[in-house]
Amino acid sequence: MTQHSTGTSITFDQATKTYLGAAAPALDALDLEVEAGELVCLVGPSGGGKTTALQLVNRLVDLTSGDIRIGDRSITDQSAIELRRTIGYAIQQSGLFPHYTVADNIATVPAILGWEKKRIRARTAELLELVGLSPVDTWLPRYPAQLSGGQQQRVGIARALAADPPVMLMDEPFGALDPITRVAVQDEFLAIHRAVGKTTLFVTHDIDEAIKMADRIAILKPGGKLAQFGTPAEVLSNPADDFVGEFLGAERGLKRLALTTVGEVVSDSHDRAGAEAETADARTTTAGWPDVEATMTLREALSVVSAARAEGAIVHAGDSRLGEVSLRDLIAPPAAGEDREGVRA
Amino acid sequence: MDVIFGAFPFMIENVGLLLAKTGDHLIISLIPLLAAIVIGVPVGVWLGHIHRGEFLAVSVTNIGRALPSLALIAILIGFVGIGMLNAMIALFLLAFPPILSYAFQSVDSIDRDLTRAARGMGMSPVQVLLKVELPLGLPMIIAGIRTSAVLTVSSATIATIAGSGGLGDVILNQVAYGMEGVVAGAIWVAVLAILVDQAFALLLRVAAPAGVKRLQVANAV
Repeated sequence: MTQHSTGTSITFDQATKTYLGAAAPALDALDLEVEAGELVCLVGPSGGGKTTALQLVNRLVDLTSGDIRIGDRSITDQSAIELRRTIGYAIQQSGLFPHYTVADNIATVPAILGWEKKRIRARTAELLELVGLSPVDTWLPRYPAQLSGGQQQRVGIARALAADPPVMLMDEPFGALDPITRVAVQDEFLAIHRAVGKTTLFVTHDIDEAIKMADRIAILKPGGKLAQFGTPAEVLSNPADDFVGEFLGAERGLKRLALTTVGEVVSDSHDRAGAEAETADARTTTAGWPDVEATMTLREALSVVSAARAEGAIVHAGDSRLGEVSLRDLIAPPAAGEDREGVRA
Repeated sequence: MDVIFGAFPFMIENVGLLLAKTGDHLIISLIPLLAAIVIGVPVGVWLGHIHRGEFLAVSVTNIGRALPSLALIAILIGFVGIGMLNAMIALFLLAFPPILSYAFQSVDSIDRDLTRAARGMGMSPVQVLLKVELPLGLPMIIAGIRTSAVLTVSSATIATIAGSGGLGDVILNQVAYGMEGVVAGAIWVAVLAILVDQAFALLLRVAAPAGVKRLQVANAV
């Protein structure tokens, strides 16, 4: 990447939207602070107001009351059109213009802003590389209909990033992708997000996607009320109310295990094993334990252990053996998932 | 069969007459067509852009389809008298509805996600219209014009009863030109309608941006 603006915070201040003719608000006095560079997922059932919240930010929907600030500046301080040109916007099905080439699609906002052709070409090429579509020259002249869903979505992300906006809004961007492609594009987007540091508000109805992507998750419930706002680990460990508990589902405990890697708990088990050896307690036999990679999540490792009908697993990092984890380590990790960076790294 | 084959010698012998009548015929059909394009396309596209007036567009179309041109000309004789103006008003009323409704549909039916994405990225309403809606709507707008073109050129034949000239003078005057003349005139009108239709098809192929042409090909396959 060449230089890029760092992200800017987004602050919802009692943001309320009541649609014309509706009895109840679609979004009810939302208070939410998305920190600079943070990726926050808005999740909830339909009718929770998550897309409304997103579209309030770029004024595709107008506030009924309250305010939204980007940095220190209220979104109503400038014209809606000027505002939108400073916000990246990506939507489901990519929203690519079918009569524009990949190059022209990505260049949409820079062209509106009147960038020089040379600068637009350089930026377009840079972005295609960033989203993993290279060699660049083979993709630039293509039309959206010639791309797969995943490729279209990558171009959609590149287009949203084109004018280097400090803030990104993404409205179920991966909702229409098949599961395998979705995982790949999610991983790529996370890598891009780490690299460019855009403050990102990301709407999804898929709680697993939110757990995977988000620094923090905002769960909205019907009536447009914020039910809970916290890190994935906090939300999964301590659901604020019955609604959140139900929304997270019966597998909430397992989902929490997906926040921690085997590598994070293996050293703990090492120390404990050492201590237990001194008490001459029964040493665990590790015969027949399956091998797992340190980068696996506890949830994945648990699945491997379960499939092998074993009591634990041997942990490897490449060729070197790091130690072992018992079933107990896997299902009741100390401070599971408190360190999000560990999962991502 | 003799009559049909006889039509071709008639054409050769009376090429001067047919060409003269063709000139009149094109004037009384193309002027109302152009007027319908000039008014119908902007109005239809604008209504489609604001997603309003579906009722208007549909009603105008249905009324237009239901109006018998012959009766219209007869009624207009009472108001504007006999002559070309009468025929042109009637043909305008015939040409306008398809152009309006196709133009409306062409823009109204564009995927809302696309226009939302365009607005969300900071395009002004005019930019959304010029960069997204018009290019994507162009094939359908042209389709409406082609429908109206065929309609006006073929219907201009009956304008002869308003005394406005055109190839109808030949077709509706069996006494003077014989059955060969009637058939010759009919074939002549049919070919003329096809030529005008193809001229607008060519216009789309020449004038459309590359990306729109591609869409056409993709849709045709």
